[in-house]
Amino acid sequence: MIHVRGLHKHFGALHVLKGIDLDVEQSEVVVLIGPSGSGKSTLLRCLNFLEIAQEGTIELLGKSVVPGKDDLDDVREHVGMVFQHFNLFPHMSAIENITMAPINVKKLSKEEARATARDLLQRVGLADKEDSYPSQLSGGQKQRVAIARALAMSPDVMLFDEVTSALDPELVGEVLQVMKDLAKSGMTMVVVTHEMGFAREVADRAIMLDDGQIIEDTTPELLFTAPTHERTQRFLSQVL
Amino acid sequence: MIDFWEILQEHFVPFLNATGMTLKLTSVSLVLAMVLGLLVAFLKLSDNRALNWVAHVYIAVIRGTPLIVQLMFLYFGITSIVVLPSFWAGSLALAIHSGAYVAEIFRGAIQSIDKGQMEASRSLGVSHWKSMRLVILPQAFRRAVPPLGNQFIIGLKDSSLVAYLGVAELYGAALSAQAENFQPFETYMVAGLYYLVLVLIFTLLVQRLESRMDKANSGRQRDTRTRIA
Ligand SMILES: Nc1ncnc2c1ncn2[C@@H]1O[C@H](COP(=O)(O)OP(=O)(O)OP(=O)(O)O)[C@@H](O)[C@H]1O
Ligand SMILES: [Mg+2]
Repeated sequence: MIHVRGLHKHFGALHVLKGIDLDVEQSEVVVLIGPSGSGKSTLLRCLNFLEIAQEGTIELLGKSVVPGKDDLDDVREHVGMVFQHFNLFPHMSAIENITMAPINVKKLSKEEARATARDLLQRVGLADKEDSYPSQLSGGQKQRVAIARALAMSPDVMLFDEVTSALDPELVGEVLQVMKDLAKSGMTMVVVTHEMGFAREVADRAIMLDDGQIIEDTTPELLFTAPTHERTQRFLSQVL
Repeated sequence: MIDFWEILQEHFVPFLNATGMTLKLTSVSLVLAMVLGLLVAFLKLSDNRALNWVAHVYIAVIRGTPLIVQLMFLYFGITSIVVLPSFWAGSLALAIHSGAYVAEIFRGAIQSIDKGQMEASRSLGVSHWKSMRLVILPQAFRRAVPPLGNQFIIGLKDSSLVAYLGVAELYGAALSAQAENFQPFETYMVAGLYYLVLVLIFTLLVQRLESRMDKANSGRQRDTRTRIA
């Protein structure tokens, strides 16, 4: 589903990703951990080409994607992303947030798009909030709308970048639940999170990123209980 | 003061007509300035160095020279290329002047929108320009309302200079009136009063619009509070 080879990303003089190789198979859930600044967000953002890597190849859905040659808007349709700070559109209601891309990119009729959006809102437990604006929703509700918005494009992969870390502790559970359901439904997911419970329950693999390199790629159980790398041990003792 | 009231009454009809002309001049030039301003804002925000430079020079020249010089220069420039009634030449010249300030207002408003908005939209597969139109600009326009209102007031007062191009707007009406009645002091006072009333009315309208937008927002916030409580 995703095959990354030799990915390098520089921001000016800063070398952020230093040769990433990563394979994610269909329906796999991969959790990505690592210290702040290790390049987790940058790696996710390279996967949907919000950042363009200087070196390396990215193959998505069996096709190698070449920025400048391939239409990146088409590619992004297949790769959903959920952000730490929700990034809902504040001037649109929940349902308008969800239908915006299907109507304007997939050219669905408004009725079709709204019907799908209602199903998705139901799925994330917000059927009664379709006309609420983001400012009327709690953090957990906003994030669930954001997940529904990404799902509305029927992506093949979903990327999650610390989607619960801006939430009050009591709201984390409802968002993780939606993600667990999504994983059970067979969605391919790459998730940056330090929620160990979530990782152990639903992830197939856990990856430790340090200073732009993957230093461990194993099962969540092993990564969290028996990390082989000294850096991973140190990092885990800090966050857990 | 007796003369003031006399002049106010005596010139009521011509001044009223002139007020209409002032409003027409102001609105036409501001609408044109908004179109031009948005275009220049995009030039300034673009990645293309040459386009940046064009916007930069235009704004620097407009900011760095007196309006009356710009008006005369543009009037003679425009009318030497195309035959235009002085109303349109004047509107166009005013628009080119305000356009520079409107461009800065739009650029600031667009840049003030959180970068995450564009990213979220792009991540859904929406193109750059569609994201601009559907996500960024609606939010930016709301933020631009107060400074645009301010620019409109400035434009209203600046339109007085178009009298020198022979347009019979308010100041032009005052110029001709005082040439007839030989009472410049009172006549300009009347003209000033007209401008003041127009500006006050317009200020009130902008305030209304702003508080309506605020209310729409705080209404939403109030909902949140009751729901939490
Ligand atoms: N657009 C950018 N321009 C310049 N430097 C950047 C940019 N984006 C990220 N960086 C830098 O790249 C490095 C990696 O950033 P990244 O956001 O990928 O880290 P992260 O692992 O997600 O960290 P965190 O846990 O804090 O989110 C950091 O040093 C960051 O300052
Ligand atoms: Mg990050």
